Amino acid sequence: MARIAANKCRESFSELFDFYAPRLKSYLLRLGASENEAEDLAQDVMVTVWRKAGMYDRKQASVSTWVFRVARNRRIDRFRQASRPELDADEPMLRPPDIEQPDVALDRAQIEETVRTELQKLPPEQLELLQAAFYEGLSHSEIASRFKLPLGTVKSRIRLAFGRLRGQLEKGDGDA
Amino acid sequence: MVMPEPREHGRDAMSGPANAAFSELYSAYAAGRLDPAFALLLETQSMLRGDVRHALAVSETISGVMLEMAEPARMSAGAATRALDLIAQLEGETGRAASRGPEDRELADLPDPLRTPAQDAFAAAGWQGTAPGIRRMKLDVGSELDVELYRIQPNARVPRHTHGGMEFTLVVAGGFSDESGSYGPGDLAVKGPDDTHQPVGDPGDVCFALAVRDSGLRFTGVMGMIQRVLGR
Repeated sequence: MARIAANKCRESFSELFDFYAPRLKSYLLRLGASENEAEDLAQDVMVTVWRKAGMYDRKQASVSTWVFRVARNRRIDRFRQASRPELDADEPMLRPPDIEQPDVALDRAQIEETVRTELQKLPPEQLELLQAAFYEGLSHSEIASRFKLPLGTVKSRIRLAFGRLRGQLEKGDGDA
Repeated sequence: MVMPEPREHGRDAMSGPANAAFSELYSAYAAGRLDPAFALLLETQSMLRGDVRHALAVSETISGVMLEMAEPARMSAGAATRALDLIAQLEGETGRAASRGPEDRELADLPDPLRTPAQDAFAAAGWQGTAPGIRRMKLDVGSELDVELYRIQPNARVPRHTHGGMEFTLVVAGGFSDESGSYGPGDLAVKGPDDTHQPVGDPGDVCFALAVRDSGLRFTGVMGMIQRVLGR
């Protein structure tokens, strides 16, 4: 990503493209896009990644998190363009926050590590619910009807899993 | 400047430590399902509160890792080359000069996600006075909900009012108090259709507050969820 921003390195971009474009496409297909729309939007997201590479800050997010954020915002922009064409598409969210203070700075590396470790340990029935919520963006009641589970079960499973991913079992959290 | 301590009061659904009960809000945000008005509210709040910021960072990390875990779908042949061609083409074009009208110096101190729509609104229409010491501006964030930024002078009184629906007010700077308690930076006041209140600006700094109103619309899906999570 640094090479794309600094040197406009086409080779690094191709590598990034080969990894992320097929996954973005798969994500968009999962959200119900047609084959063509998914391909087109995946392409569009990768072009945006190139153009905004200078805004990427590895201290703020992993590449995957950032690419997903770009994809989310592109998707929202398209949707907005359909109904409100006058809206500007510049994304302030992609810029690192400018009032980051040392005492409240997040340990992104720690978050990243905890999320990765705990996701691997999650039982499949918790993982699929988490995927429906954090990846597809379904509400808890939508998840309950898709998986034919009582709403309370969905809520408690996601709550449990989210707590673990936030590292709540290791240390008392939420004391910010 | 120090992070404000979350204050305690009954109606304020988000003032306690951001806990797992709100994971539904965070997941909707991370996945891009949240209404833009609420996304702005959450982002602004995350700039003011470490716990909310942590929860959002975890949520976005989960989404990012899930993207990595996705089963790749085949792109058509030559897709990467076509993307590079498109990039070359776009870079040939000269970027549009970002011309904007007047900026407000006070608004420049607002947290990042809020600053841009606030400056845009200022350039487009400017503040509207509603009562002595009270000014407001409608923000365009692409939502069907009413989104307004309030500027409340110390000790100024917002006229007593009720709401057609739910009203979510996030204090961004300074503070205000009403019958239900005091609200400081990062606090969210949630009012229902039956609540009447008369907020008064706290002494000290000028209060800026971001208000999102649903005007009595009943929402389903994720918006309905927000009404359930934050409302009563």
